[in-house]
Amino acid sequence: MDIAELETKVIEFIASKAETVDASSITTASRFEDLGFDSLDTVQLLFDAEEAFGVSFDGEEVRGLRSVGDIIDYISKHPPTISS
Amino acid sequence: MRVVVTGMGIVSPIGIGVDQFWNAAINGVSGITSIQSFDASSQHSRVAGEITEFNPANFLSAKQMEQTDRFTQLALHAASQAMADAGSLDNYHPRRLAVSLGSGMGGFSTFESSAARKFQKKPIPPFSVPRIMANSAAAWIATKYGLKGVNLTCSTACSSGANAIGMALDLLRTGKADAVVAGGAEACVLPLTMTGFEALQALSIGFNADPARASQPFAKGRDGFVMGEGAGILILEKEEEAIKRGAKIYAQLAGYGCACDATHIVAPNMDGQVAAMQAAIEDANIISDQVDYINAHATSTPLGDVIETKAIKQLFGTHANEVAISATKSMVGHSIGASAAIGSIATIMSLHTGTIHPTINLDEADPQCDLNYTPNCAIQKKVQVGMCNAFGFGGNNASIVFTNL
Repeated sequence: MDIAELETKVIEFIASKAETVDASSITTASRFEDLGFDSLDTVQLLFDAEEAFGVSFDGEEVRGLRSVGDIIDYISKHPPTISS
Repeated sequence: MRVVVTGMGIVSPIGIGVDQFWNAAINGVSGITSIQSFDASSQHSRVAGEITEFNPANFLSAKQMEQTDRFTQLALHAASQAMADAGSLDNYHPRRLAVSLGSGMGGFSTFESSAARKFQKKPIPPFSVPRIMANSAAAWIATKYGLKGVNLTCSTACSSGANAIGMALDLLRTGKADAVVAGGAEACVLPLTMTGFEALQALSIGFNADPARASQPFAKGRDGFVMGEGAGILILEKEEEAIKRGAKIYAQLAGYGCACDATHIVAPNMDGQVAAMQAAIEDANIISDQVDYINAHATSTPLGDVIETKAIKQLFGTHANEVAISATKSMVGHSIGASAAIGSIATIMSLHTGTIHPTINLDEADPQCDLNYTPNCAIQKKVQVGMCNAFGFGGNNASIVFTNL
């Protein structure tokens, strides 16, 4: 999957979880809090993303994920480790 | 001061909504099928009363679904029906609107799935705890409708729903609330839960090839209960306030009694059942001869149905032969903490319509079960007083009495 394709998939995925925004208004710069996700919602979002993208959001670096672009960067740098 | 029922909602294996449920019940429809929600091939009991037509996505957002266990979703749907049925409660201050709910197992679906993930060293959903906690359903109902008064959850196994309705009666009588959303919810057609009940030899295992016959309270060949799921919700308020706001009134919730066997953690005891029924009758300020109908606890276990029959005979004497009895569980299985809420709705509908639903699968009664259980076909009978029984593990017995006004 190239980065553009990954970006599209992550945005579609986040749009499917967001309550108040659709995919067209989400960019890589969108922060989770601006998309209506509070801190617990964000934990749930990352949990669901593990299943959807086969990655494991583990360890301290996860705490720094704040935006859509952060998730895309993380997934692109971490090869799939789990199967859904 | 009289407490009345002004709204009802139900999600059951034989129907979603009171009309669908009651139409199926009086026609003796079985909701018991082979288990479809998980691979039950390794279970001894492979039948259950599942709600297959229920889709939470029809009324909950993706986020709400992620944050709720199935038992909460069933409760929310039943509550939404009951609230719509009751009409606006805007005349009451939000702090005077209470919730009293029962659930034996709480969010056990989440418990089982999260435990399985943990044991596989996988992360668990962040909302695992608020989905599992027994008061989750009551909290979600309160949140959805802005009910800011007392919020209670009762967990007394199979009698949870009856105790919750009884607690609601107490809240209204003692002036701690003006209206209460009361009932029970359960969703435990699940591998671990069913294996647990199998280990106690409580479940039916002999009818896997003929599921609709598996739940047969009072019948000669019964071999255990059939797991069910569902939710039943009542809206309860004081009669004078209900009349003032122009609400329709289904029935009076007239009495509530409970008693603990204090003898055995799971085996039923006749004395405790008699005591609970007696207390409910006294609380309703009636005499036992006035009871026209009993919605029996009747789970289809070999021991339980005999003990309940003996308890009814002990308490009612010769009137035991006059009273009509039926077992809703013959059609929907045993939905644990929801069962008495569902049984209460059946009782109220009998008062309201003059029809008593049958106990199905009752071709030949156990010789030790020799009362009138309304076998196989509904009957027409004017019911002025109806009682719903619920007897749970822990030796917990609860009875509630509904009357026509």
